[in-house]
Amino acid sequence: MARARIRREWLQKNLTTITPITAAIVLMIALRALNPFFLATYESVVTLIYGMSWFLIAACGLTFVILMGSFDFSIPSVLKLSAMLCGVFYPQVGFAVIPLAIMVSLLFGFINGVLLAKFSIPSFMTTLATSFVAEGLAQIISGGYTRILSDPSFTAISITFIPAKFGLPSIFYWAIALWAVGIIVTLITPFGRAVYGIGGNLTGARLAGINITKVRILVFMLSAFFASIAGILYAAQIQGAHMQIGVLDTIPLFASVVVGGTALSGGTGGIHRTLLGVIIIRWLDSGMSMIGVDYNVRMIVFGAIAIIMTIATIDRRRIKIMK
Amino acid sequence: MFNSSILEVRNVSKTFNGVVKALDGVSMAVKENEIVSVVGENGAGKSTLMKILVGIYPPDAGELYHKGAKVPFPRNPMEALKRGISIVYQEKGIIPHLKVYQFLFLGLEEKFTRLGRLQLERILGIAKTVLDELGVKCDITSYMYELPLSMQKMVEIVRAILSIRLEHGGAESDGVNPIIILDEPTAPLSREERDELFSHLLEMKKTSSFIFVSHIIPEVMEFSERIYVLRDGKLVAHHDLSREKPTEEELFKEIVGRESHRYLWAKYIYGKPEELKGRPIILSVKNLSKKGYYQDVSFDLHKGECIGLFGPAGSGKSEIARTIYGILAPDSGMIITNGKKVGLKDEPHRRLKMGIGYFSGETGKELFLYWPIRKNISLVNMEKVVKKPIKIAAIINFKAERSLAEKVMKEMRIRAPSVETECYSLSGGNKQKISVGKWLERSPNILVLLDPTIGIDVGSREEIYEALLEMKKGGISMILVSDDPKEYAILCDRIILVKDGKLKKIYTNDEFRKVMQL
Repeated sequence: MARARIRREWLQKNLTTITPITAAIVLMIALRALNPFFLATYESVVTLIYGMSWFLIAACGLTFVILMGSFDFSIPSVLKLSAMLCGVFYPQVGFAVIPLAIMVSLLFGFINGVLLAKFSIPSFMTTLATSFVAEGLAQIISGGYTRILSDPSFTAISITFIPAKFGLPSIFYWAIALWAVGIIVTLITPFGRAVYGIGGNLTGARLAGINITKVRILVFMLSAFFASIAGILYAAQIQGAHMQIGVLDTIPLFASVVVGGTALSGGTGGIHRTLLGVIIIRWLDSGMSMIGVDYNVRMIVFGAIAIIMTIATIDRRRIKIMK
Repeated sequence: MFNSSILEVRNVSKTFNGVVKALDGVSMAVKENEIVSVVGENGAGKSTLMKILVGIYPPDAGELYHKGAKVPFPRNPMEALKRGISIVYQEKGIIPHLKVYQFLFLGLEEKFTRLGRLQLERILGIAKTVLDELGVKCDITSYMYELPLSMQKMVEIVRAILSIRLEHGGAESDGVNPIIILDEPTAPLSREERDELFSHLLEMKKTSSFIFVSHIIPEVMEFSERIYVLRDGKLVAHHDLSREKPTEEELFKEIVGRESHRYLWAKYIYGKPEELKGRPIILSVKNLSKKGYYQDVSFDLHKGECIGLFGPAGSGKSEIARTIYGILAPDSGMIITNGKKVGLKDEPHRRLKMGIGYFSGETGKELFLYWPIRKNISLVNMEKVVKKPIKIAAIINFKAERSLAEKVMKEMRIRAPSVETECYSLSGGNKQKISVGKWLERSPNILVLLDPTIGIDVGSREEIYEALLEMKKGGISMILVSDDPKEYAILCDRIILVKDGKLKKIYTNDEFRKVMQL
């Protein structure tokens, strides 16, 4: 009796961890059944890595914002703008384009943060607005044309294989490194504690002497920074930039964060969980394309998953009434 | 039937999870037209008993008698309503954007519908009659949020009475004597609002009975006919105030089972004006004004002194306190601490750096309820638990964090399984002790206290007073804002009377106790 109760309580407590792990295993078996080459050949592994790495970086940035109880719609657009800046200006300025892209993105993050922290405009509003600004800028600088980036010294930042024979592309190591940095920052630094604090209890965080304005601005800048790096690496990976980058990535990104177990209400979950969420969402995506599910139907599936996982992860003890 | 009980419970017991005995053979009775009080510390079993009466919990054992006849316990609040019992909870149960009459009839509309249309005229008529009859004077077309807190509570009570009456046939008072349980109704109210509420209750008593659940001794003594004292789930005393009147001290002893705070007065010395002058000034407030809240506020706070800002609700006392921690920005004036000017628009985190701390009794706001105790304590003590492997990066040392929390738990006698226990599962008193403990550990130069013991039981209250007095002895200065005169008398060296946003008069601790007859 008692043991049964303890087991039930343990299960309830760790449900947000068990669910994604189970889902990943089930997916892996299902995909294997659909396609005998899935994860079985070196090429299939590399393809998956290419699909996941830039996505993981962007998702890590989004996790920061969601942990704080806010939302960032501008990530795909900032990512696209970064990639496009590389595509347009690399031929002229060379590697100086990387700091340029990062600076421009940080500016977007800064504006998002200031609008929220100083002018109290909800983040879904501000980031939606700035996403259009970034979108427009990308359109203007590129004229809407696809840019090719074939210079091997630039593409090397993403597609150098380490080790050279049967190794993984460098974008994978970048992604894992940034993910690790994200984990360290959120879980063991005072700054990370402040992010969780603001997401968990804004008034309490203010009363406890946390500089809310600063943390909020920094978090949005971090999110833009991650998006920017993802964009640069993605441009190097696909050897160019085009206006379709990031289009319709908002929902899969958001889905991967909540599937990992970070609650949309803020304050619970973490970047360490996002890796699993990304794996699930990307596997699901490739699984569906394998069996020939239409792109638009895939979007419907991601939308549904996002809603279901939001319901599953949201902290209902805390939120009594939702408006 | 003269003096007979309309409701009586006998030997009620209730055990939670097979271990915690919340109620142990408790009996009580309610007569017609009376206010009967149930007092006890948090966790004494008051709420459990009330929840059994309104059908939220089933009891393990016991009997219920209604007008002398044995009846089964209600299984849900609807059944309780049929027996004429309803409850008004401590938290605001109102809906701010409904008009008074809409709120009164919320959920009862179907009784007043003809052909799918609401009979608005009838509802308005009944609302008016009932409020008039019960002596509640308010405009039925005003919105709930426009009413003062005490009036909102009154409307809630009227709603409870009305729903019982409608359950028994009509909106008129005939025949039924509703029993309304008031669960700590005065907790959010100021003294004046409290008196206002009680004057109305005395009026309503003509047609109803009230079970008044509280731990505020003076009001219980003043307004009830009989008092039941619960302690650790047992009925320890029953006073019929028409026959014998226990002193507040005696009642207090029955509630907590030990001596009251008078020993604190004997143990700690309060600063005299001449002696205080000799101490360094730690905070100086000059001509502080904020339009609509307070004007021209000036005072000096010495090292190790506690100043109380005393006055009615709305006098601006809490706004002054909140201004000092930077939650509210003043229009003009000056705040100087340790010789340094404080930026008037500075946020709390800058005040904290200048050595000012703030602690409010509203635990829901201050505490992170879903964080473990450990994180709540380290939040304002980050410097103590970080290490810097490289100069610019600070990381949290979890071992140091845990031992810090363990130390505070021991000092404050916080009763919890471990430092990893999440705070929401703790009692109100223990939560408050965590908040006090974290500031004790931080030990700022100045601590602003806003209702530091609101809504907690008498025992924890004393432990908090003692911790605060120890901090004061150690040289921490404090500013207190509260609703309880006793609290000022226990904690403050000087008490400043605040009225209409202006500082009126300064009392020493002795003078204040004399004036307040404490």
